[in-house]
Amino acid sequence: MSTVAPPGELVTVVEDGPSPASVRMEQFARVLGRWVGAIALALVFFSILIMTRGSNPITVFSDAWVNTIQSPFAMQQALVKAGPMILAALAVVVPARAGLVNVGGEGQLLIGAVAAAGVAQVSDGRLAGPVLIVLMALAGLIAGALWSGLAAFLRVTAQVNEAVGTLLLNFIALDLLLFLIFQPWKDPNGTGQPASPPLQADAHLPMFPGSTVNIGIIIAVVAAILTWALLRFTRWGFKLAVAGGNPEAARRAGMPVSSLLMSSMLLGGAFAGLGGMLYYAGTEFQLRPGIMASIGYTAFLASWLVRHRPLAVVVSATVLSILIVSGDSLQIDSDLPAATINILTGLLLIAVLGWTQMPWRKSKGSA
Amino acid sequence: MNIFVDILSGGVSGGTSIMYAALGETVSERSGVINLGTEGCMLMGAFSGFAVTSLTGSPWLGILAAAAAGGALALIHAILVVTRKSNQFASGLSLLFLALGLTALYGSGFVGQQINGFDPIAIPGLSAIPILGPVLFDQNILTYLSYVIAPALWFVIFRTRIGLMLRTAGESAEVLTVNGYSIAKVRYIAVVTGGIFAGVGGAYLSVAYSQSWFENMIVGRGFIAVALVVFAAWDPLKVIGGAYLFGSALALSPVLQARGYEINQFALDMLPFLLTLVLLVFLGRRAVDSTPAELRKVFDNARA
Repeated sequence: MSTVAPPGELVTVVEDGPSPASVRMEQFARVLGRWVGAIALALVFFSILIMTRGSNPITVFSDAWVNTIQSPFAMQQALVKAGPMILAALAVVVPARAGLVNVGGEGQLLIGAVAAAGVAQVSDGRLAGPVLIVLMALAGLIAGALWSGLAAFLRVTAQVNEAVGTLLLNFIALDLLLFLIFQPWKDPNGTGQPASPPLQADAHLPMFPGSTVNIGIIIAVVAAILTWALLRFTRWGFKLAVAGGNPEAARRAGMPVSSLLMSSMLLGGAFAGLGGMLYYAGTEFQLRPGIMASIGYTAFLASWLVRHRPLAVVVSATVLSILIVSGDSLQIDSDLPAATINILTGLLLIAVLGWTQMPWRKSKGSA
Repeated sequence: MNIFVDILSGGVSGGTSIMYAALGETVSERSGVINLGTEGCMLMGAFSGFAVTSLTGSPWLGILAAAAAGGALALIHAILVVTRKSNQFASGLSLLFLALGLTALYGSGFVGQQINGFDPIAIPGLSAIPILGPVLFDQNILTYLSYVIAPALWFVIFRTRIGLMLRTAGESAEVLTVNGYSIAKVRYIAVVTGGIFAGVGGAYLSVAYSQSWFENMIVGRGFIAVALVVFAAWDPLKVIGGAYLFGSALALSPVLQARGYEINQFALDMLPFLLTLVLLVFLGRRAVDSTPAELRKVFDNARA
């Protein structure tokens, strides 16, 4: 494997001269510069593309700024999405520590929402709101864990690559949801649109006074801190990192690699499943087609954007949520399809993946 | 026609799209690069093929444009993973987002338009054969082409010098370097070739199969194609069978509905994905044994 980096990349080798601290600083400045450059480049490309469709990028950006960043309503929308997205991003972070790729955030969110709705369906108004919320949260956690756990189980027992497995399970979860809301769970009192019956009002998640933001975002941030602590301070977190870094060495050291891989996926899936429940009981209150709107896939990018750091994921997921919400501004103000914003998401990640790689991690090869 | 023939012929016409994409992905993965962006390349192909056919009236120009668009998107993947050594899964998925956005931005004006694409042409004589005739010989020109391309690709991969270089890049890349060849060059060519095939597979959907364009019309076929390559053990001939199997699973629900069966379509829509998963489980071991060694490194270590 060629390890030759492009010119200008090898400057950071510590040999003699400056102290490690100042080298660190220089590296930090370099990395920061690359980030700014990468994001600027993505914005420039995006501007050129929308110019070819006759839109003035300055107007588009300023409209998006006014109607997203400066709009309390839009920012609340973004925070509402950020909760589940952070949780789904944690579902990428934890397995990644063990060297696994979980592309199944979307499916795990969906199945969490389906499980929560299922509990509500069975309860049928007989349970008090708070009891139902707890049961729904449990159902979401378990369903998400089972969904990712299935992919992990197939990986450990039948060597089915987990990226492919989780990806396929996304579509199965989506079809399951559609199957349910088009027939068995269809709201009998609903309009023509297929959707499950609305969740009883006392089982809606508590909201911050005077806003549409529910406590989901708090739960997500707590989960991120918990994940950070687990990975950093526990034996389990340490073993996970060893198994992810060099499974062969971990195996020789007597570590139960298979159950480590399993547990990382189970925990990740549980997070995403909880995210799905929060989105259902906090915002949507009904299952409907397109309920997740790719939050799970965007969460995958959010985790990669910060290279799977549990605390940084809070920031990246929030930024991407704001970006998604600003897509609505493109649609309303600039008459561009809302999905256009995916271009910027894609370009940002391409720029960050390709051109902000930490130089000292470069030697890892093409993996 | 009986229901069995309907499902099989639907399987061939619906599976051809997946087959093109999976053949391309076979080339890419043989060189040691997995491209989850295959879904995105198919989208780019579906849109470009439709748009150019609509603007010029020539479906052949449409296919050419689709190939170019799929190849161009794959080139970004090649730059990211070969030159910049980024993670292959993350790069592939960002390409999908890029393609979703680009095709939505440029495609909005084409939704609902009519085109003159490739219609089925019954081959005289052959199409009269019972069962096989309607299944294999009452298809469109792109499907007929695939009958030739898939075996030809097998020949190129396993029986020619180019194929040997491709497989070497995927099995033990250092050997290429030792012999004075560039690993990067082989992989670039392989990944872009994969994108070209995926582009054609996407255009097959918009220009031949449904002759329409709408946002995100690939809905997972590209991901199925990637999974299909794994259980076809990176062999173009096995890809044919797998593609028709999925095509048939996809054809099941329209065929049954057309006959008035009261079924929930979405239960059947799960089928191709479940089938893929089940087949991966049963063929998993065998597939793992034939995984190109360089690709296995990618599968085994996914850290940033």
